[in-house]
Amino acid sequence: MKTILEKGIVFYQGKFQELEKLVIEKGKITEITLASSKAKKGKPVPPPKKKVETSANTIDCSDLYILPGFIDAHTHISLEEEGVGWYDADFNESFGLATPHVRAFDALKMRDRAFKDALHGGVTTAMITPGSANPIGGQCCIVKMVGNIAEAAVIKESSGMKFAFGENPKRVYGEQKKFPCTRMGTAAVIREWLMKAQDYLKRKKTKEFKEREIKLEALLPLIEGKIQARAHAHQADDIITAYRIAQEFNLDMVFDHCTEGHLIAKELGKWKARAVVGPTFSSRSKPELRNKTFETVEILMDEGCIVALTTDHPVMPIEGLSVAAAMCVRHGLDEERAIKAITENPAIILGLDKRLGKLEVGYDADVVIWEGHPLDTRSRTKAVFVDGNKVI
Amino acid sequence: MSIIFNNVRIPMSGTFFPGQKVLVEKGKIASVGSMIRKNVEKVIECEQKYLIPGLIDAHSHLGLFESSTSVDDISEPFADITPHLRPLDGIKMRDRAMEDARRAGISTCMVCPGSERPISGICSILKTNGNSADVGLIVEQAGILMSFGEQVKGAARKGERPYATRMGVSALIRETLMKAQDYYALKQSKKMVKDREIDMEALIPLIKGEVAMRACAHRVEDIMAAIRIADEFKLKLVIEYGTEAHMIAAVLAEKNIPVVLGPTLIPRFRYELNEKTFESAKILMDAGVDVAFTCDYPGLPIETLRVAAAMAMQYGLDERRALAAITDVPAKILGVSERLGKIKKGLDGDLALFSGHPLDIRSRLEALVVDGDLFVFSDDLKVEAGN
Repeated sequence: MKTILEKGIVFYQGKFQELEKLVIEKGKITEITLASSKAKKGKPVPPPKKKVETSANTIDCSDLYILPGFIDAHTHISLEEEGVGWYDADFNESFGLATPHVRAFDALKMRDRAFKDALHGGVTTAMITPGSANPIGGQCCIVKMVGNIAEAAVIKESSGMKFAFGENPKRVYGEQKKFPCTRMGTAAVIREWLMKAQDYLKRKKTKEFKEREIKLEALLPLIEGKIQARAHAHQADDIITAYRIAQEFNLDMVFDHCTEGHLIAKELGKWKARAVVGPTFSSRSKPELRNKTFETVEILMDEGCIVALTTDHPVMPIEGLSVAAAMCVRHGLDEERAIKAITENPAIILGLDKRLGKLEVGYDADVVIWEGHPLDTRSRTKAVFVDGNKVI
Repeated sequence: MSIIFNNVRIPMSGTFFPGQKVLVEKGKIASVGSMIRKNVEKVIECEQKYLIPGLIDAHSHLGLFESSTSVDDISEPFADITPHLRPLDGIKMRDRAMEDARRAGISTCMVCPGSERPISGICSILKTNGNSADVGLIVEQAGILMSFGEQVKGAARKGERPYATRMGVSALIRETLMKAQDYYALKQSKKMVKDREIDMEALIPLIKGEVAMRACAHRVEDIMAAIRIADEFKLKLVIEYGTEAHMIAAVLAEKNIPVVLGPTLIPRFRYELNEKTFESAKILMDAGVDVAFTCDYPGLPIETLRVAAAMAMQYGLDERRALAAITDVPAKILGVSERLGKIKKGLDGDLALFSGHPLDIRSRLEALVVDGDLFVFSDDLKVEAGN
C-alpha cells in the first residue's frame, strides 16, 4: 500500500519548502519531490509511472505542513502511568544506589494514554528512562508511540545507562539517612561501579571466570562503548562532574536536563557536547533549577553543541514538546533550529539519524501533517503516520 | 478395589454418549465401552448419569491455606527469592478444603506457594485422596512459581521489601536465573568442586528445561516481561491468571504458551484486574492457545471450578472446550496427560459422577473416584457389591 502526500509545505533539508509529492511505501519514505525542483527543471512531472497505481492513497496537503515525527530524547512515558496510583508507578527502583540491571523496557505499559497524547502532539518516538533517584538508575530504551506490546514499539531495548547527579540522589538517600548525602558521595558511588565494571571486563576475559554478576554484566556495554551514558545533571558543576567521570572512564555521554548549560556554554562547546534540555516549562521547584531559562538552547547551539528539547514526561505532558520549541523561538531561537531540536538533533543524540528525524528517501515514514505551522500552538495534527501506517 | 459404572453417559467427541460402562481396576481405568462383563467388588448403576474425568485445577494453594484460621502457609513475607520452598512441607491433607475439593469433583490440583514474591517456590501436583502429602503429591517438581506486577509490588510495599517497581521485579528474577545458569554450568564442569546452594539446586530442573516457569501475571506488560525472560533463558513458560492474555492472544499462540486462566469470578479489586472478562477463554482458544481454568483457591472457593467453565459458556464458549479446560487441558499443561484428564483405558482411575450435566451448576456430584478410591456423596446412588 502506497501513500502519496501531494502539495503542502514540507520541512525538508532544514527549512520549509513547497512540496510536490512525498511517497510512502512499505513503512519508508521512497520519494520526495519539491515544487521548486520541478519549476527549475521545467519538466511537467517527476518520473513516469511504470504501472497504474490502483492501491495508492493520495492525500492533498495543500496549505498543510508536513514534518517528520517529533522525537523526545528523554521521557518516562508509561513508567508511571498517568491517572493511576502507586501500583503503576515504576519509576525508581529502591534496592540500591546502583541498579544498572533494571530496564525501563520491562515496565512499559503500552495502554498509557500518554502514547496517544504523544501522537496528537506530533511525537512519534521517545527515549524512556528510569528515574533519577539512584546514582546509577538503570537502562533506557527507545520506542515508537504505537503497538500493543513493547516489542511492537521497540527501536532499542537498551540504548543507554542512566546516571543521576546533583540534588535527587542526595535528597532520596539523605531522607533515608543513608549514604550518599553529598555530591561527592554520588560521584563516588558511580566511580566505584564503573571501576568494578572495568575490572570485571578484564576478569571476564580470563579462563578462571565462571560466575556472572548481573549488575556488572549490565555495565559492560557501557564500558565497551556500545551504549550511551545518560547523565541527569542540572547544575553547571554537576554537568562538569559528569563530564569528568565520562573522561576518566571513556564513556559516550549525553547530558540530560542541562539546566545551567548556558553558564558553561564555552566548555560544552569545546566538548562538542550533546544535550537534552528541559523540561524548561516546569517550575523552579528546587535550588538546582534556579537559573532555568528558555535561552539555554540557543546559547548552546551557538557554541556548536547538539541540542534537543525534552518534556521529561510526565514532569511536563508530552504534547508540550512543540510548545517548548515555540518558547525557545519566543526567546530568540530561529524557527529552523527550534524544529531541529525536536527532530534531527534528538535523532543524532539517540544514534538514529540514519533512519529518523528527517524526511529523506529511505528514512522511516514517521510523518506528521499539521493543519497550521507546527510551532503555532493553535495548530492541530491532521494526520500522523508511524512506519507508514496512519495512526491518527 | 474394582468398580464398574453401568449405564452412564461419558463425554465423547463433543457430546455425552449414553449407555456406556467404565471399569476401574487397581487404581486405573481398565476398560471403557458398552459391552464390559467382569466380576467386580462394586457395581454402580448410574441410570444415564454423567461421568467425566476427575476435575483438575492447574493452580491452587489447596492445603497450604488453612481453613478457618487467620494464619496460612502460603507466603513467606520476609524473603523474596525462595525457589526451594516445597509445598510438600506445608500441605495439610486433613484440611476441610480437601473434602470440599472432592465434593466438587476435583481429583487433582497443582499446589504452589503464594504469588506475592518474585520467585516463591516449587509447584507440585497433588491428588485429593491421600492421607499424607508424600502420597498425595504425584509429581513434586512440576514447575517454579514466579510473579510479576501489582501483587508483587503491593506486597513489597506492605512488607517494606527493598524493591518497588516492575523493573526491579524483572531485574531480581533475571539476576537469580543468571546465577542459576552459571551454577548449573559450574556443577556440570567436573573440575569445579563446590558447596551446594539449596535455592540454586531447586532451579536446575527449570534451567534444564525439564519443568516450566509458571509466571503469575495479569496485565499485558507483565505477561510480556515473563515471555521476555523465558525467551532470554530458554525456559518453558506457562502464564497464570492471564487477566489480559486475550489482548495478546496472537503472541501467546505463536509462542505456544498456555494460560491457566482465572480467577475470573472475583470483583475488580485491583487495578490490574480492570480488563477482566469471561470472554477471555474463547478469544484465547480461538487463537489457538491452550487454556485451563483455575479458581486460585483460596482466591475463590475450590468448588467454583465448574462455575468458571459454565461462565465461559455463558459468554460463548462451546461445551467441549469448556469441559476440556477443567480436565484434559490442565493435564496437558501440567505435563501429566499420559495419566490424567480423559476417560481412557490405562489412565488413572479418576472419575466424577454427576446427577446431571456437569456444567449445569444445579447438578450434584454423586460419587468421586481418585486412584480407584471411591467417595460416595449421594444416598440415592445405587452402589452394590458385585458377585
